[in-house]
Amino acid sequence: MLELYDQAQAAAEAIREQWDLTPRAGIILGTGLGGFADRIEKAVVIDYEKIPHFPRSTAVSHRGRLVCGMLEGLPVMAMEGRFHQYEGYPLQQITLPVRVMKSLGSDLLIVTHAVGGLNPYYVPGDVMIIDDQINLMGDNPLVGINDDRLGSRFPDMSAPYTPELIAAGQAIARREDFPVQRGVMVAVTGPNLETRAEYRFLRQIGADVVGMSTVPEVIVAVHSGMRVFGLSVVTDMCLPDCLEPANVEEIIAVANSAEPKLRALVLGILAHERSKGK
Amino acid sequence: MQEVAQQITAAAAAVRHFWDVTPRAGIMLGSGLAGLADEIAVEHTIEYSDIPHFPRTTALGHKGHLTCGRLSDVPVIAFQGRFHLYEGYSAQQAALPARLTRALGADTLIVSNAAGGVNPRYAVGDVMVIDDHMNLLFDNPLIGVNDDNLGPRFPDMSSPYDRVLMEIAIEVARRADFVLHRGVYLAMLGPTYETRAEYRMARHLGADAVGMSTVPEVIAACHAGMRVLGLSTITNVGSPDAPNGTSGHDVIVAAKLATEKVTRIVQAVVASLD
Repeated sequence: MLELYDQAQAAAEAIREQWDLTPRAGIILGTGLGGFADRIEKAVVIDYEKIPHFPRSTAVSHRGRLVCGMLEGLPVMAMEGRFHQYEGYPLQQITLPVRVMKSLGSDLLIVTHAVGGLNPYYVPGDVMIIDDQINLMGDNPLVGINDDRLGSRFPDMSAPYTPELIAAGQAIARREDFPVQRGVMVAVTGPNLETRAEYRFLRQIGADVVGMSTVPEVIVAVHSGMRVFGLSVVTDMCLPDCLEPANVEEIIAVANSAEPKLRALVLGILAHERSKGK
Repeated sequence: MQEVAQQITAAAAAVRHFWDVTPRAGIMLGSGLAGLADEIAVEHTIEYSDIPHFPRTTALGHKGHLTCGRLSDVPVIAFQGRFHLYEGYSAQQAALPARLTRALGADTLIVSNAAGGVNPRYAVGDVMVIDDHMNLLFDNPLIGVNDDNLGPRFPDMSSPYDRVLMEIAIEVARRADFVLHRGVYLAMLGPTYETRAEYRMARHLGADAVGMSTVPEVIAACHAGMRVLGLSTITNVGSPDAPNGTSGHDVIVAAKLATEKVTRIVQAVVASLD
Protein backbone atom coordinates (compact mmCIF):
# COMPACT_ATOMS: atom_id res chain seq x y z
CA MET A 1 0.00 0.00 0.00
CA LEU A 2 3.03 2.26 0.33
CA GLU A 3 3.03 3.31 -3.36
CA LEU A 4 -0.57 4.58 -3.25
CA TYR A 5 0.27 7.90 -1.67
CA ASP A 6 2.64 8.86 -4.48
CA GLN A 7 0.27 7.51 -7.13
CA ALA A 8 -2.61 9.59 -5.76
CA GLN A 9 -0.38 12.67 -5.62
CA ALA A 10 0.72 12.20 -9.24
CA ALA A 11 -2.85 11.72 -10.46
CA ALA A 12 -4.04 14.75 -8.47
CA GLU A 13 -1.25 16.82 -9.97
CA ALA A 14 -2.26 15.84 -13.52
CA ILE A 15 -5.87 16.85 -12.82
CA ARG A 16 -4.86 20.13 -11.19
CA GLU A 17 -2.96 21.11 -14.31
CA GLN A 18 -6.25 21.15 -16.21
CA TRP A 19 -8.68 22.17 -13.47
CA ASP A 20 -7.47 24.14 -10.50
CA LEU A 21 -10.57 24.36 -8.28
CA THR A 22 -10.86 22.52 -4.97
CA PRO A 23 -13.70 20.01 -5.27
CA ARG A 24 -16.29 20.07 -2.52
CA ALA A 25 -17.49 16.61 -3.52
CA GLY A 26 -16.34 13.64 -5.55
CA ILE A 27 -19.15 11.79 -7.31
CA ILE A 28 -19.00 8.25 -8.72
CA LEU A 29 -21.65 7.57 -11.35
CA GLY A 30 -22.72 3.95 -11.69
CA THR A 31 -24.35 1.83 -14.40
CA GLY A 32 -26.87 3.78 -16.49
CA LEU A 33 -26.28 7.01 -14.61
CA GLY A 34 -23.51 8.38 -16.79
CA GLY A 35 -25.82 10.99 -18.44
CA PHE A 36 -25.89 12.83 -15.16
CA ALA A 37 -22.45 14.31 -15.86
CA ASP A 38 -23.95 16.44 -18.68
CA ARG A 39 -25.44 18.69 -16.01
CA ILE A 40 -22.03 19.78 -14.81
CA GLU A 41 -21.29 23.35 -15.91
CA LYS A 42 -17.97 24.83 -17.02
CA ALA A 43 -16.90 21.24 -17.34
CA VAL A 44 -13.32 20.16 -17.88
CA VAL A 45 -13.38 16.58 -19.17
CA ILE A 46 -10.32 14.41 -18.66
CA ASP A 47 -10.09 10.92 -20.10
CA TYR A 48 -8.88 8.29 -17.66
CA GLU A 49 -6.00 7.45 -20.02
CA LYS A 50 -4.62 10.94 -19.45
CA ILE A 51 -4.49 10.48 -15.68
CA PRO A 52 -1.46 8.60 -14.32
CA HIS A 53 -2.22 5.30 -12.55
CA PHE A 54 -5.94 5.35 -13.44
CA PRO A 55 -7.16 2.04 -14.89
CA ARG A 56 -9.38 1.89 -18.01
CA SER A 57 -13.05 1.13 -17.53
CA THR A 58 -14.26 -1.89 -19.49
CA ALA A 59 -17.83 -2.29 -18.18
CA VAL A 60 -20.99 -1.86 -20.30
CA SER A 61 -22.40 1.71 -20.19
CA HIS A 62 -19.38 3.04 -18.33
CA ARG A 63 -17.49 5.65 -20.30
CA GLY A 64 -14.18 6.26 -18.60
CA ARG A 65 -13.68 9.96 -18.04
CA LEU A 66 -13.52 12.45 -15.25
CA VAL A 67 -15.82 15.47 -15.46
CA CYS A 68 -14.75 18.41 -13.30
CA GLY A 69 -16.88 21.54 -13.01
CA MET A 70 -19.68 23.29 -11.18
CA LEU A 71 -22.84 21.61 -9.97
CA GLU A 72 -25.42 23.41 -7.80
CA GLY A 73 -22.87 26.19 -7.41
CA LEU A 74 -20.16 23.95 -5.98
CA PRO A 75 -17.00 22.66 -7.62
CA VAL A 76 -17.28 18.88 -8.00
CA MET A 77 -15.50 16.08 -9.81
CA ALA A 78 -17.57 13.24 -11.24
CA MET A 79 -16.35 9.88 -12.46
CA GLU A 80 -18.18 8.70 -15.54
CA GLY A 81 -17.29 5.06 -15.44
CA ARG A 82 -15.96 3.14 -12.48
CA PHE A 83 -13.79 0.10 -12.04
CA HIS A 84 -15.00 -3.24 -10.74
CA GLN A 85 -13.36 -6.18 -9.05
CA TYR A 86 -14.93 -8.47 -11.69
CA GLU A 87 -12.96 -6.66 -14.41
CA GLY A 88 -9.86 -8.08 -12.81
CA TYR A 89 -8.64 -4.93 -11.10
CA PRO A 90 -7.19 -5.15 -7.59
CA LEU A 91 -9.25 -3.22 -5.04
CA GLN A 92 -6.37 -0.84 -4.36
CA GLN A 93 -6.44 0.26 -8.00
CA ILE A 94 -10.25 0.49 -8.12
CA THR A 95 -10.22 2.85 -5.17
CA LEU A 96 -7.35 5.08 -6.27
CA PRO A 97 -9.76 7.76 -7.64
CA VAL A 98 -11.22 8.19 -4.14
CA ARG A 99 -7.73 8.85 -2.77
CA VAL A 100 -7.24 11.35 -5.61
CA MET A 101 -10.48 13.14 -4.67
CA LYS A 102 -9.20 13.41 -1.12
CA SER A 103 -5.79 14.65 -2.31
CA LEU A 104 -7.51 17.38 -4.31
CA GLY A 105 -9.28 18.53 -1.16
CA SER A 106 -12.71 16.91 -1.28
CA ASP A 107 -14.00 15.62 2.04
CA LEU A 108 -17.27 14.22 0.67
CA LEU A 109 -17.81 11.16 -1.52
CA ILE A 110 -21.15 10.63 -3.25
CA VAL A 111 -21.51 7.12 -4.71
CA THR A 112 -24.27 5.83 -6.94
CA HIS A 113 -24.73 2.38 -8.40
CA ALA A 114 -27.26 -0.03 -9.82
CA VAL A 115 -28.29 -2.96 -7.61
CA GLY A 116 -30.66 -5.89 -7.43
CA GLY A 117 -33.42 -5.62 -4.84
CA LEU A 118 -33.68 -8.35 -2.18
CA ASN A 119 -36.12 -6.65 0.16
CA PRO A 120 -39.56 -7.69 -1.14
CA TYR A 121 -41.04 -4.27 -0.40
CA TYR A 122 -38.77 -2.66 -3.00
CA VAL A 123 -39.76 -2.23 -6.68
CA PRO A 124 -37.63 -1.68 -9.77
CA GLY A 125 -36.85 2.01 -10.17
CA ASP A 126 -36.68 2.61 -6.42
CA VAL A 127 -33.79 4.62 -5.06
CA MET A 128 -32.30 3.46 -1.76
CA ILE A 129 -30.15 5.63 0.48
CA ILE A 130 -27.42 3.29 1.69
CA ASP A 131 -27.56 3.05 5.47
CA ASP A 132 -24.87 0.42 5.87
CA GLN A 133 -22.95 -2.23 3.97
CA ILE A 134 -21.74 -5.83 4.11
CA ASN A 135 -18.47 -6.72 2.38
CA LEU A 136 -18.65 -10.20 0.82
CA MET A 137 -16.08 -9.48 -1.87
CA GLY A 138 -13.50 -11.63 -0.13
CA ASP A 139 -11.01 -8.79 -0.32
CA ASN A 140 -10.38 -5.38 1.19
CA PRO A 141 -8.60 -2.38 -0.37
CA LEU A 142 -6.66 -1.85 2.87
CA VAL A 143 -4.89 -5.22 2.88
CA GLY A 144 -1.13 -4.69 3.05
CA ILE A 145 1.21 -2.56 5.11
CA ASN A 146 -0.73 0.49 6.20
CA ASP A 147 0.44 3.93 5.09
CA ASP A 148 -0.34 6.17 8.07
CA ARG A 149 -0.31 9.22 5.76
CA LEU A 150 -3.49 7.85 4.16
CA GLY A 151 -5.41 6.71 7.24
CA SER A 152 -5.41 4.44 10.28
CA ARG A 153 -4.61 0.72 10.35
CA PHE A 154 -8.00 -0.36 11.68
CA PRO A 155 -10.67 2.09 10.51
CA ASP A 156 -13.85 2.15 12.55
CA MET A 157 -16.87 1.21 10.44
CA SER A 158 -19.68 1.82 12.91
CA ALA A 159 -21.17 4.48 10.59
CA PRO A 160 -19.52 4.42 7.16
CA TYR A 161 -22.39 6.42 5.63
CA THR A 162 -22.73 9.80 7.31
CA PRO A 163 -25.94 9.74 9.40
CA GLU A 164 -26.52 13.48 8.93
CA LEU A 165 -26.47 13.10 5.14
CA ILE A 166 -28.79 10.07 5.28
CA ALA A 167 -31.31 12.20 7.17
CA ALA A 168 -30.82 15.09 4.72
CA GLY A 169 -31.44 12.70 1.80
CA GLN A 170 -34.69 11.48 3.33
CA ALA A 171 -35.81 15.07 3.89
CA ILE A 172 -35.09 15.91 0.23
CA ALA A 173 -37.21 12.97 -0.97
CA ARG A 174 -40.11 14.04 1.27
CA ARG A 175 -39.87 17.60 0.01
CA GLU A 176 -39.74 16.48 -3.63
CA ASP A 177 -42.56 14.01 -2.90
CA PHE A 178 -41.11 10.69 -4.02
CA PRO A 179 -40.54 7.53 -2.00
CA VAL A 180 -36.98 6.67 -1.05
CA GLN A 181 -35.80 3.49 0.66
CA ARG A 182 -33.09 3.22 3.30
CA GLY A 183 -31.27 -0.05 3.70
CA VAL A 184 -28.26 -2.33 3.72
CA MET A 185 -26.22 -3.09 0.60
CA VAL A 186 -24.13 -6.22 0.26
CA ALA A 187 -21.29 -6.31 -2.28
CA VAL A 188 -20.24 -9.51 -4.02
CA THR A 189 -17.56 -10.05 -6.65
CA GLY A 190 -19.74 -11.00 -9.62
CA PRO A 191 -19.68 -10.90 -12.59
CA ASN A 192 -22.30 -13.65 -12.65
CA LEU A 193 -25.60 -12.72 -11.07
CA GLU A 194 -26.58 -14.65 -7.97
CA THR A 195 -28.33 -18.00 -7.90
CA ARG A 196 -31.68 -18.26 -6.14
CA ALA A 197 -29.94 -19.93 -3.21
CA GLU A 198 -27.45 -17.07 -3.02
CA TYR A 199 -30.25 -14.49 -3.05
CA ARG A 200 -31.90 -16.29 -0.12
CA PHE A 201 -28.57 -16.35 1.69
CA LEU A 202 -27.93 -12.61 1.12
CA ARG A 203 -31.42 -11.69 2.30
CA GLN A 204 -30.96 -13.87 5.35
CA ILE A 205 -27.71 -12.17 6.39
CA GLY A 206 -29.52 -8.84 6.40
CA ALA A 207 -29.07 -7.25 2.97
CA ASP A 208 -31.79 -5.21 1.24
CA VAL A 209 -29.94 -4.89 -2.08
CA VAL A 210 -26.97 -6.57 -3.73
CA GLY A 211 -24.36 -5.04 -6.02
CA MET A 212 -20.85 -5.58 -7.39
CA SER A 213 -19.23 -2.26 -6.48
CA THR A 214 -19.17 0.67 -4.05
CA VAL A 215 -17.98 -1.17 -0.91
CA PRO A 216 -14.25 -0.79 -1.77
CA GLU A 217 -14.62 2.91 -2.54
CA VAL A 218 -16.55 3.52 0.68
CA ILE A 219 -13.97 1.67 2.78
CA VAL A 220 -11.23 3.86 1.30
CA ALA A 221 -13.30 7.02 1.83
CA VAL A 222 -13.73 6.08 5.51
CA HIS A 223 -10.00 5.30 5.73
CA SER A 224 -9.31 8.77 4.28
CA GLY A 225 -11.65 10.44 6.77
CA MET A 226 -14.21 11.46 4.13
CA ARG A 227 -17.94 11.70 4.68
CA VAL A 228 -20.02 9.44 2.45
CA PHE A 229 -23.47 9.61 0.87
CA GLY A 230 -24.52 6.51 -1.09
CA LEU A 231 -27.44 5.85 -3.42
CA SER A 232 -28.48 2.49 -4.86
CA VAL A 233 -30.84 2.35 -7.84
CA VAL A 234 -32.91 -0.83 -7.76
CA THR A 235 -32.86 -1.97 -11.39
CA ASP A 236 -34.38 -5.41 -10.98
CA MET A 237 -35.88 -7.52 -8.23
CA CYS A 238 -34.06 -10.63 -7.05
CA LEU A 239 -36.88 -12.57 -5.41
CA PRO A 240 -35.69 -16.17 -5.29
CA ASP A 241 -39.13 -17.69 -5.51
CA CYS A 242 -40.28 -15.89 -8.64
CA LEU A 243 -36.97 -15.14 -10.29
CA GLU A 244 -36.83 -14.12 -13.93
CA PRO A 245 -33.70 -14.09 -16.07
CA ALA A 246 -31.91 -10.74 -15.89
CA ASN A 247 -31.76 -8.57 -19.00
CA VAL A 248 -28.92 -6.07 -19.14
CA GLU A 249 -30.71 -3.66 -21.55
CA GLU A 250 -33.74 -3.61 -19.25
CA ILE A 251 -31.56 -3.00 -16.19
CA ILE A 252 -29.94 0.00 -17.87
CA ALA A 253 -33.36 1.32 -18.99
CA VAL A 254 -34.70 1.14 -15.41
CA ALA A 255 -31.56 2.82 -14.10
CA ASN A 256 -32.10 5.66 -16.60
CA SER A 257 -35.76 6.01 -15.57
CA ALA A 258 -34.72 6.56 -11.95
CA GLU A 259 -32.44 9.42 -12.94
CA PRO A 260 -34.82 12.26 -11.90
CA LYS A 261 -34.95 10.98 -8.31
CA LEU A 262 -31.23 10.43 -8.23
CA ARG A 263 -30.62 13.91 -9.62
CA ALA A 264 -32.90 15.49 -7.01
CA LEU A 265 -31.04 13.69 -4.23
CA VAL A 266 -27.52 14.47 -5.45
CA LEU A 267 -28.33 18.12 -6.19
CA GLY A 268 -30.21 18.37 -2.89
CA ILE A 269 -27.22 17.04 -0.95
CA LEU A 270 -24.93 19.52 -2.72
CA ALA A 271 -27.37 22.35 -1.87
CA HIS A 272 -27.35 21.09 1.73
CA GLU A 273 -23.53 21.22 1.70
CA ARG A 274 -23.54 24.71 0.24
CA SER A 275 -26.01 25.95 2.86
CA LYS A 276 -23.68 24.68 5.59
CA GLY A 277 -21.03 26.90 4.01
CA LYS A 278 -18.37 24.33 4.76
CA MET B 1 2.24 -26.29 -0.61
CA GLN B 2 5.18 -28.46 -1.58
CA GLU B 3 7.68 -25.84 -0.44
CA VAL B 4 6.16 -25.49 3.04
CA ALA B 5 7.87 -28.62 4.40
CA GLN B 6 11.28 -27.33 3.35
CA GLN B 7 10.58 -23.89 4.80
CA ILE B 8 9.51 -25.42 8.10
CA THR B 9 12.53 -27.73 8.25
CA ALA B 10 14.83 -24.73 7.78
CA ALA B 11 12.94 -22.65 10.36
CA ALA B 12 13.00 -25.50 12.91
CA ALA B 13 16.73 -26.01 12.39
CA ALA B 14 17.31 -22.31 13.08
CA VAL B 15 15.32 -22.47 16.33
CA ARG B 16 17.13 -25.63 17.48
CA HIS B 17 20.43 -23.93 16.78
CA PHE B 18 19.55 -21.36 19.46
CA TRP B 19 17.51 -23.54 21.83
CA ASP B 20 17.83 -27.29 21.61
CA VAL B 21 14.84 -28.36 23.72
CA THR B 22 11.66 -30.10 22.56
CA PRO B 23 8.72 -27.87 23.48
CA ARG B 24 5.47 -29.41 24.66
CA ALA B 25 3.35 -26.57 23.34
CA GLY B 26 3.43 -23.52 21.10
CA ILE B 27 1.57 -20.42 22.27
CA MET B 28 0.36 -17.71 19.88
CA LEU B 29 0.02 -14.41 21.70
CA GLY B 30 -2.63 -12.13 20.26
CA SER B 31 -3.04 -8.34 20.38
CA GLY B 32 -2.22 -6.97 23.82
CA LEU B 33 -1.57 -10.38 25.39
CA ALA B 34 2.19 -10.08 25.35
CA GLY B 35 2.02 -9.89 29.18
CA LEU B 36 1.52 -13.64 29.23
CA ALA B 37 5.08 -13.98 27.97
CA ASP B 38 6.35 -12.33 31.17
CA GLU B 39 5.34 -15.49 33.05
CA ILE B 40 7.68 -17.59 30.95
CA ALA B 41 11.11 -18.38 32.43
CA VAL B 42 12.93 -17.29 29.30
CA GLU B 43 15.81 -19.39 28.09
CA HIS B 44 16.17 -17.80 24.69
CA THR B 45 14.55 -15.11 22.58
CA ILE B 46 14.78 -15.36 18.81
CA GLU B 47 13.91 -12.48 16.51
CA TYR B 48 11.66 -13.46 13.62
CA SER B 49 14.26 -11.98 11.30
CA ASP B 50 16.61 -14.78 12.45
CA ILE B 51 14.09 -17.48 11.51
CA PRO B 52 14.21 -18.38 7.80
CA HIS B 53 10.97 -17.80 5.85
CA PHE B 54 9.32 -15.91 8.72
CA PRO B 55 7.77 -12.64 7.55
CA ARG B 56 7.94 -9.42 9.57
CA THR B 57 4.94 -8.45 11.68
CA THR B 58 3.51 -5.05 10.83
CA ALA B 59 0.48 -5.05 13.17
CA LEU B 60 -0.13 -2.66 16.05
CA GLY B 61 0.50 -4.32 19.43
CA HIS B 62 2.49 -7.17 17.93
CA LYS B 63 6.23 -7.58 18.38
CA GLY B 64 8.14 -10.04 16.26
CA HIS B 65 10.01 -12.63 18.25
CA LEU B 66 9.86 -16.16 19.53
CA THR B 67 10.28 -16.67 23.27
CA CYS B 68 11.66 -20.09 24.26
CA GLY B 69 11.56 -21.21 27.87
CA ARG B 70 9.46 -22.80 30.57
CA LEU B 71 5.92 -22.04 31.69
CA SER B 72 4.73 -23.99 34.76
CA ASP B 73 8.05 -25.88 34.39
CA VAL B 74 7.00 -27.17 30.98
CA PRO B 75 9.11 -26.28 27.92
CA VAL B 76 7.14 -24.03 25.57
CA ILE B 77 7.65 -21.61 22.73
CA ALA B 78 5.61 -18.42 22.56
CA PHE B 79 5.11 -16.43 19.37
CA GLN B 80 5.01 -12.72 20.16
CA GLY B 81 3.60 -11.34 16.95
CA ARG B 82 1.53 -13.16 14.36
CA PHE B 83 0.91 -12.73 10.65
CA HIS B 84 -2.47 -11.49 9.52
CA LEU B 85 -4.09 -11.67 6.13
CA TYR B 86 -4.92 -7.98 6.33
CA GLU B 87 -1.18 -7.27 6.39
CA GLY B 88 -1.02 -8.80 2.94
CA TYR B 89 0.25 -12.22 4.05
CA SER B 90 -1.28 -15.40 2.69
CA ALA B 91 -3.09 -17.86 4.94
CA GLN B 92 -0.18 -20.20 4.33
CA GLN B 93 2.25 -17.65 5.80
CA ALA B 94 -0.13 -16.97 8.69
CA ALA B 95 -0.01 -20.68 9.49
CA LEU B 96 3.80 -20.94 9.63
CA PRO B 97 4.03 -20.63 13.45
CA ALA B 98 1.66 -23.58 13.90
CA ARG B 99 3.67 -25.72 11.53
CA LEU B 100 6.94 -24.70 13.19
CA THR B 101 5.51 -25.71 16.58
CA ARG B 102 4.70 -29.15 15.19
CA ALA B 103 8.10 -29.49 13.52
CA LEU B 104 9.83 -28.78 16.84
CA GLY B 105 8.00 -31.74 18.35
CA ALA B 106 5.08 -30.13 20.22
CA ASP B 107 1.63 -31.59 19.70
CA THR B 108 -0.34 -28.79 21.37
CA LEU B 109 -1.08 -25.31 20.05
CA ILE B 110 -2.54 -22.62 22.27
CA VAL B 111 -3.91 -19.63 20.37
CA SER B 112 -5.11 -16.36 21.83
CA ASN B 113 -6.57 -13.34 20.14
CA ALA B 114 -8.46 -10.12 20.63
CA ALA B 115 -12.01 -10.29 19.31
CA GLY B 116 -15.17 -8.23 19.10
CA GLY B 117 -18.06 -9.74 21.04
CA VAL B 118 -21.27 -10.16 19.07
CA ASN B 119 -23.01 -12.31 21.67
CA PRO B 120 -25.00 -9.73 23.66
CA ARG B 121 -24.08 -11.46 26.93
CA TYR B 122 -20.38 -10.75 26.45
CA ALA B 123 -18.72 -7.74 28.09
CA VAL B 124 -15.43 -5.99 27.40
CA GLY B 125 -12.62 -7.75 29.25
CA ASP B 126 -14.37 -11.16 29.22
CA VAL B 127 -12.54 -14.22 27.98
CA MET B 128 -14.09 -16.84 25.68
CA VAL B 129 -12.74 -20.33 25.17
CA ILE B 130 -13.16 -21.07 21.47
CA ASP B 131 -15.50 -24.03 21.01
CA ASP B 132 -15.57 -23.80 17.23
CA HIS B 133 -14.85 -21.40 14.41
CA MET B 134 -16.08 -20.19 11.04
CA ASN B 135 -13.75 -19.23 8.21
CA LEU B 136 -14.87 -16.12 6.29
CA LEU B 137 -11.31 -15.11 5.36
CA PHE B 138 -11.85 -16.26 1.78
CA ASP B 139 -8.53 -18.10 2.02
CA ASN B 140 -7.26 -21.37 3.48
CA PRO B 141 -3.67 -22.31 4.37
CA LEU B 142 -4.14 -25.73 2.75
CA ILE B 143 -4.84 -24.47 -0.77
CA GLY B 144 -2.43 -26.01 -3.24
CA VAL B 145 -1.01 -29.45 -3.89
CA ASN B 146 -1.23 -31.29 -0.57
CA ASP B 147 1.98 -32.49 1.07
CA ASP B 148 0.98 -35.82 2.62
CA ASN B 149 3.92 -35.60 5.01
CA LEU B 150 2.31 -32.58 6.64
CA GLY B 151 -1.23 -33.93 6.81
CA PRO B 152 -4.19 -35.30 4.89
CA ARG B 153 -5.75 -33.67 1.81
CA PHE B 154 -9.16 -33.24 3.49
CA PRO B 155 -8.70 -32.70 7.23
CA ASP B 156 -11.70 -33.41 9.42
CA MET B 157 -12.90 -30.27 11.20
CA SER B 158 -15.63 -31.81 13.34
CA SER B 159 -13.88 -30.64 16.50
CA PRO B 160 -10.87 -28.46 15.79
CA TYR B 161 -10.59 -27.42 19.45
CA ASP B 162 -9.65 -30.11 21.97
CA ARG B 163 -12.44 -30.96 24.45
CA VAL B 164 -10.11 -32.00 27.26
CA LEU B 165 -8.12 -28.76 27.14
CA MET B 166 -11.39 -26.81 26.97
CA GLU B 167 -12.63 -28.53 30.14
CA ILE B 168 -9.41 -27.65 31.95
CA ALA B 169 -9.85 -24.00 30.95
CA ILE B 170 -13.45 -23.96 32.20
CA GLU B 171 -12.40 -25.55 35.49
CA VAL B 172 -9.65 -22.95 36.01
CA ALA B 173 -12.12 -20.11 35.49
CA ARG B 174 -14.64 -21.66 37.88
CA ARG B 175 -12.05 -22.13 40.62
CA ALA B 176 -10.57 -18.66 40.11
CA ASP B 177 -14.09 -17.22 40.07
CA PHE B 178 -14.17 -15.36 36.76
CA VAL B 179 -16.50 -15.53 33.78
CA LEU B 180 -15.33 -17.73 30.91
CA HIS B 181 -17.61 -17.97 27.91
CA ARG B 182 -17.56 -20.82 25.45
CA GLY B 183 -18.43 -19.82 21.92
CA VAL B 184 -17.88 -19.63 18.20
CA TYR B 185 -15.14 -17.45 16.68
CA LEU B 186 -15.70 -15.98 13.22
CA ALA B 187 -12.63 -14.88 11.27
CA MET B 188 -13.04 -12.02 8.80
CA LEU B 189 -10.37 -10.43 6.65
CA GLY B 190 -10.26 -6.87 8.07
CA PRO B 191 -8.47 -4.53 8.52
CA THR B 192 -11.67 -2.48 8.72
CA TYR B 193 -13.72 -3.19 11.82
CA GLU B 194 -17.15 -4.57 11.07
CA THR B 195 -20.06 -2.40 10.02
CA ARG B 196 -23.27 -2.71 12.04
CA ALA B 197 -24.75 -4.78 9.22
CA GLU B 198 -21.74 -7.08 9.31
CA TYR B 199 -22.08 -7.54 13.07
CA ARG B 200 -25.73 -8.49 12.58
CA MET B 201 -24.69 -10.94 9.88
CA ALA B 202 -22.01 -12.45 12.14
CA ARG B 203 -24.52 -12.97 14.95
CA HIS B 204 -27.10 -14.35 12.56
CA LEU B 205 -24.60 -16.84 11.19
CA GLY B 206 -23.94 -18.16 14.68
CA ALA B 207 -20.81 -16.32 15.80
CA ASP B 208 -20.18 -15.19 19.37
CA ALA B 209 -16.97 -13.29 18.65
CA VAL B 210 -15.42 -11.80 15.49
CA GLY B 211 -11.73 -11.36 14.76
CA MET B 212 -9.11 -11.21 12.01
CA SER B 213 -6.78 -14.08 12.87
CA THR B 214 -6.40 -17.54 14.44
CA VAL B 215 -8.35 -19.59 11.92
CA PRO B 216 -5.38 -20.15 9.53
CA GLU B 217 -3.17 -21.35 12.40
CA VAL B 218 -5.86 -23.65 13.74
CA ILE B 219 -6.56 -25.17 10.32
CA ALA B 220 -2.86 -25.90 9.89
CA ALA B 221 -2.70 -27.36 13.41
CA CYS B 222 -5.65 -29.68 12.66
CA HIS B 223 -3.97 -30.64 9.39
CA ALA B 224 -0.85 -31.51 11.40
CA GLY B 225 -2.88 -33.53 13.92
CA MET B 226 -2.29 -31.18 16.85
CA ARG B 227 -4.49 -30.50 19.85
CA VAL B 228 -5.67 -26.90 20.03
CA LEU B 229 -6.85 -24.60 22.79
CA GLY B 230 -8.19 -21.22 21.68
CA LEU B 231 -8.89 -18.18 23.85
CA SER B 232 -10.48 -14.94 22.71
CA THR B 233 -10.33 -11.77 24.75
CA ILE B 234 -13.41 -9.63 24.20
CA THR B 235 -11.92 -6.21 23.59
CA ASN B 236 -14.96 -4.45 22.21
CA VAL B 237 -18.62 -5.22 21.92
CA GLY B 238 -20.13 -5.08 18.46
CA SER B 239 -23.58 -3.80 19.26
CA PRO B 240 -25.30 -2.92 15.97
CA ASP B 241 -28.23 -1.23 17.65
CA ALA B 242 -26.22 1.08 19.87
CA PRO B 243 -23.17 1.73 17.72
CA ASN B 244 -19.98 2.91 19.30
CA GLY B 245 -16.68 3.40 17.55
CA THR B 246 -13.74 1.04 17.86
CA SER B 247 -10.04 1.86 17.67
CA GLY B 248 -6.94 -0.30 17.64
CA HIS B 249 -5.80 1.45 20.81
CA ASP B 250 -9.01 0.62 22.75
CA VAL B 251 -8.57 -3.01 21.76
CA ILE B 252 -5.08 -3.16 23.24
CA VAL B 253 -6.13 -1.51 26.50
CA ALA B 254 -9.03 -3.96 26.92
CA ALA B 255 -6.84 -6.93 26.08
CA LYS B 256 -4.47 -6.01 28.87
CA LEU B 257 -7.37 -6.15 31.36
CA ALA B 258 -7.94 -9.78 30.43
CA THR B 259 -4.29 -10.82 30.36
CA GLU B 260 -4.35 -12.13 33.91
CA LYS B 261 -7.29 -14.44 33.21
CA VAL B 262 -5.73 -15.75 30.01
CA THR B 263 -2.42 -16.28 31.80
CA ARG B 264 -4.00 -18.41 34.54
CA ILE B 265 -5.76 -20.61 32.00
CA VAL B 266 -2.68 -21.08 29.84
CA GLN B 267 -0.50 -21.88 32.88
CA ALA B 268 -2.92 -24.57 34.03
CA VAL B 269 -3.33 -26.08 30.58
CA VAL B 270 0.41 -26.18 30.02
CA ALA B 271 0.93 -27.78 33.47
CA SER B 272 -1.52 -30.50 32.50
CA LEU B 273 0.67 -31.44 29.55
CA ASP B 274 3.46 -32.58 31.80
